Order: sequence, then C-alpha cells, then structure tokens
Amino acid sequence: MRRVSRGARALCLACGAALVAACGAGGPAPGQTVVVFKHGKLFGDPAPLRALLDEFERQHPGVVVRDETLPAGSDEQHQFYAINLQARSAAFDVLAVDVIWVAEFAHAGWLQELTRLLPPAERAAFFPGPIEAVTHQGRVYAVPWFVDAGLLYYRKDLLEKHAFPVPRTWEELVRTARAVMAREPRIAGFVWQGKQYEGLVCNALEYLWSNGGGVLSGGRIVLDTPRNRQALAFMSDLVHRFGVTPGSVTTATEEPSRHVFGQGRALFMRNWPYAWRLFQDPGSRVHGKVGVTTLPHFEGGIPAATLGGWQLAVNRHSRQAAAASELVRHLTSVQAQKRLALAYGFQPARTALYRDPELLAAQPLLQVLERVFATARPRPVTPYYVRVSQVLQSELSAIISGRKSPEAALAAAERKLRKILADEA
Amino acid sequence: MKLERELDRPLWYLLPGGLLLVVVTLFPLGHVLWLSLQRHSLLHGPPRFVGLDNYLRLAGDERFWNALANTAYFAAVSVALELALGLAIALMIARVRRGRRLLYGVILLPWAVPTAVSARMWEWMYDAEIGVLNYLAGTHVNWLGSPAWALNAAIAMDVWKSTPFVVLLLLAGLQGIPRDVYRAAAVDGASGWSVLVRITLPLLAPVMLVALVFRTIDAFRVFDAIYVLTGGGPADSTETLSIYAYKVLFQGLEFGYGSALAVSVFVCVGLAALFYARLMREALR
Repeated sequence: MRRVSRGARALCLACGAALVAACGAGGPAPGQTVVVFKHGKLFGDPAPLRALLDEFERQHPGVVVRDETLPAGSDEQHQFYAINLQARSAAFDVLAVDVIWVAEFAHAGWLQELTRLLPPAERAAFFPGPIEAVTHQGRVYAVPWFVDAGLLYYRKDLLEKHAFPVPRTWEELVRTARAVMAREPRIAGFVWQGKQYEGLVCNALEYLWSNGGGVLSGGRIVLDTPRNRQALAFMSDLVHRFGVTPGSVTTATEEPSRHVFGQGRALFMRNWPYAWRLFQDPGSRVHGKVGVTTLPHFEGGIPAATLGGWQLAVNRHSRQAAAASELVRHLTSVQAQKRLALAYGFQPARTALYRDPELLAAQPLLQVLERVFATARPRPVTPYYVRVSQVLQSELSAIISGRKSPEAALAAAERKLRKILADEA
Repeated sequence: MKLERELDRPLWYLLPGGLLLVVVTLFPLGHVLWLSLQRHSLLHGPPRFVGLDNYLRLAGDERFWNALANTAYFAAVSVALELALGLAIALMIARVRRGRRLLYGVILLPWAVPTAVSARMWEWMYDAEIGVLNYLAGTHVNWLGSPAWALNAAIAMDVWKSTPFVVLLLLAGLQGIPRDVYRAAAVDGASGWSVLVRITLPLLAPVMLVALVFRTIDAFRVFDAIYVLTGGGPADSTETLSIYAYKVLFQGLEFGYGSALAVSVFVCVGLAALFYARLMREALR
C-alpha cells in the first residue's frame, strides 16, 4: 500500500490540487479553525445535532464544526476509519466509534489519549461497561456517548393469562415457555439471533457471562471451561432439546426476530432496546402487551447483557486537537446527551440522566434500562476483537446448527484464539 | 532493414491497448501478489516481507480448505445444472416459431435483476417460517439455516439466475449451425436423437465451452449472492473463498493474508481457464 509509484503519486497530487481548488471557494476564512466531526448516519432529523454543534461554535468563536456522515453499515465505517487513520489522514478530527473498535484503534496508535477528559472521579458518572471498553492499558481513548445492551422482551398478557411470573433465571424461562407453548399452539417460546454474524457472539456471551464464564480474563483466554460448556450446551438445548426456540434461529438477525415477536408469534425475545419503540406504535399487533426486563441468568449467576453503543474519540493526527477534544467534552456533556436522547431516542451513557424527570417522562423505558446497563459488559476488550469474533461466530454457529458439540467447538475456538494472540504478540 | 521496420510498426499500434492492460490488470495483479508476500495488517504499522509465510498459513488453515471445498462444490454443481438446463431450454426455444421475442424477454428476466436484489427475494422465499417455498411444498425445511441445505439452496438461486445467460449463448450458437446439414440429415432419414447427438451437439460444442468458461469463472468468484443470502453460515457451510477473503481483508483488515487468499482464487480460476482453453483447442481441431 505504501509503495505507490511516483507517477501515481503525481496523479493523486494533481487530482488533489484540482479538488482543493474546486473547494477553495467554500473554505474557511483565514484565522478560522475547522473541526470535522465524522459519524454514522443518524436516523432522524439532523437539526438537533446541528443545533448542538452551532452552540459549540458560539461558545468557541473562530471555530467552525463541520459534521460529515458515513454510511450506516458498521463494516463500511470500520473500513473507512481504518484506511484513513492508517494513512495518517487529518481530514477529520472527532470520530464516533463502535464500542468494539476502541481497543483496536488505540492499540494501532490512531486515537489521542483522552484521560484528561475522563479523570477517575469523572468516570463514575458513566456506566462501568462503556468505561471498560474505552480504557486501553489504563488510559482512556474515547468518551462514551450512547449505550445499547441486550434485553428480554416478554408478552405481559400471556404470562398473566397463564399465571406465570417474569422469569429471573434461564431455567425458569424454559419452564415457563414450555408450559405456555403447550397451551398456546401457535406461539414460539423464545426467539433470539443465531445467524452466523456479530449478533450471534453478542447473544452467546450473555449465556457465558450469566453462568460466571467468559472469553478473556486479564488478557488470558478462558474459553474452554466447564461453565462455558454448560452455558453453550444450554443455548443449543433451547433449540434441540427443550424445543422452545424454533430451528430457524440459525438464520435470525435482529429484524426477523423482531418481526416474529411483533406479530404476536413468540412469548420471549432477546433484542436491543430499539424494538421497544416499534412495539409502542398503536398499529403494532403486540401494542400494550409487551414487557421488558433484564436478561435471565443461570442459578447462582448474575444477569449480564452484551454492551453496544457509540463513543467519541479524537484522531491522533488531528491538527485541531484542542478544539476537537473540547467538542468531545461538549457532545458528551449531560446537557448534550439529554438533548440527543430526546431527539433521537438514544440511551445516554451518563447514569445521572436516568433520573432526569423530563427524560423519564419522554422515555419511561429508561427506568428498566438503567438496571440493564449497570451490569452490561463489553465484548472481549482486545485489539484483535474482529479476528476473535470471526472465530467465535463460526464455532458458535456450528454449535447451534448441530454440527459440533459445545465441547468440540469450545476446544477448537480456544485453540484458534491462542494462535491469534500468539501470532499478534 | 525495410522488412524489419514494417514488422516493428504493429507494436506501436498495440502500445495504447497494452499500456491500458498493464495499468488496469497487470499492475493490480502484481500488487496483490506482492502484498501476499508481506505481513501487512492495518493494525500493525509498517508492512514486513515474510516470503511464503502467508501461503504456509493458508495450507494449515482449515477454514481455507473448507471454503475451497464449498467453492468447488458450488461451481461444479451450479455450472453443470446451468449447462444442462440451458441446453434443454435453448433447444426448445429454437423450435418455437411464434412469440419468440416474448419468450426471450421472460427468460432473460432473472439475469437482468441485480444479484443483491434477487438474493433478498430468495432469502424471503427460503424463510423457514413465512417463506413461500415451505408453504407450497407443505414442508418445514430450514433451507438457509441447516448446514446440509444452505449451500444447495444457494446453488438453486444461482441456477435460476444464470441459466438465462447460458440459454442466450447457446441460442446464438444454434442459429450459427447451417440449415443444410439438417436438411441433409432429413434426406438420409436420421432420427431426431441422432441429429441431436451427431450434428447439433458437436457443432454447438465450441459455444458450450465458451458458456462453461464464463460460468465457471463466475461461479468460482461467487460472493454477493451468497453473502446476502447467508453471510457464509451456518457453521461456515456456505463460506466460499471470496467470502472468506472478504472477511479477512475488509473486516479483519489483514491485507497480506487476505491477498494470499485472493491469489488462491485467482490460481483456481486460472487453472480452470487453462483446462477449458485446452478443451476448446481440441474441439476446434
């Protein structure tokens, strides 16, 4: 990639010069500082975000903030950032990063350290999961912006009709689902995401963690353990032994499972918070019949949801580092997170907002979500997460599609992960 | 002296075309080959020359062998079916006298739909819960979700999509067979079967080979159709070489190893092309 011929370089320069000349007319006035904020496409009116950026410009005379959106696809964003940051591009200053990228980008030396913005005292204002995700070797490289985590959706009406409480443990969930399925012939017990993709890893981690297991511990691989085997055997049993999850789970991503549940064809569902808003639509078939709670856990374990969400970071090669980190501070402030939460329905990363009367009135679900986010955990925080996830996706899919036993799959996954870490060390 | 200059000239005429070929084909190819000899991951700073390390890793990578087997199976089965079906349909259409244009249009339709769109369409049809396929057949097969079915389901979609291309090529070939040969056969009282086996098929062979070359190369590189349909799952059962290369290159950002994977696709396709080229030479002889 680096060895570009001189001719090609000259061509690029010429094109670049032409572009600069073309854009020159709309460029910044002399003495102005331009901060470019790169983020994924927002679903909704861009005005509320722009208003926040305008406010920042008013507070910082001479600074102009340009926001530029990337495609909504996570892979595309990851690629864009990696290629540009690797090439030391200074074309953007502040970037929105997925929770699984921070360690990777920080390790590669692409992000500025932001420990200054988040001294230990300030960290307590955020949920612990996102703080863990933005910390790499004791230093902070991004500030949590919005959080997301797995939830258990249930049919209030059906549980009431058959006099069952909301399940607290996985075992209870299976018993309840089987009992209700016996009396409601057209209802699936429990739907979740089992296609071979990132979402499968998110789902599976929740079983591992809620049984006291996991993937990494202090940088060591702890995958092939009795607790993990037990947890994944349970996940597979949901389909193959208990029959509470339909076999089609091996093709299910978020939306198909949301459709099944939304059409009233499932008792329980694991999904992210976004589905809640869609069920509140009066036209929804399950309107008023849905409840939400923390995911169940195994006997003796604690509930643990997989964390998702977005953080703001500063490009290491930014020429406006000071203004950029000020912008991060501004956008992750209590006020900004509140306004964006009201405008876009995102869940703020700051715990204080979950007791804000105005926000709670607009989004009563936040009361439940606070409990979920408090124990939500980031996926293995490692610079090699993408490769780790690719191995897990393939082995986990082999378990639920019945190709491998949990024992065989975990042993294979452990062997492959060891190889990756040894290879990278 | 004069003769030599005359011979020199065509080279100059070839230069612009040759240069274009070098820039758009040979340079990228050489670059990928060069990358495949390096340890070059975006996460690792400067790339490092490692010789054949990536290829050694390839040899020991079960996921690569699995992808190669999937790709070979997909290519062999889908191309065989497309050729057989394409031939049957082309022979039938060749006999139709009226409404041929309409038939062309209808048959070409699947070929004209963008792959990603038709893959989405098939994803819905294959859906185990609400798919029209299970509804019509009265079955409960998890087409895309069981390792035994998924790759075959992808093959069915590819056959639906690509058979029209084969039909079109073979129809053109059929029209190129001189009528006189058939008339002579009729005079000699040849049966329909011997006309097909002794006249039509041998004279159609070169065109069939062209169709084979195109379809095999396409099938070996298959990416979008399967990626949209299954993403390579379940349990890697539909992961082809191109899908694996995409995951390594564009998700894992391992340019060195990903390039080695890409080179392996190139080598497979190249071998298939050489094999066909040889067949073609013999057929033309």
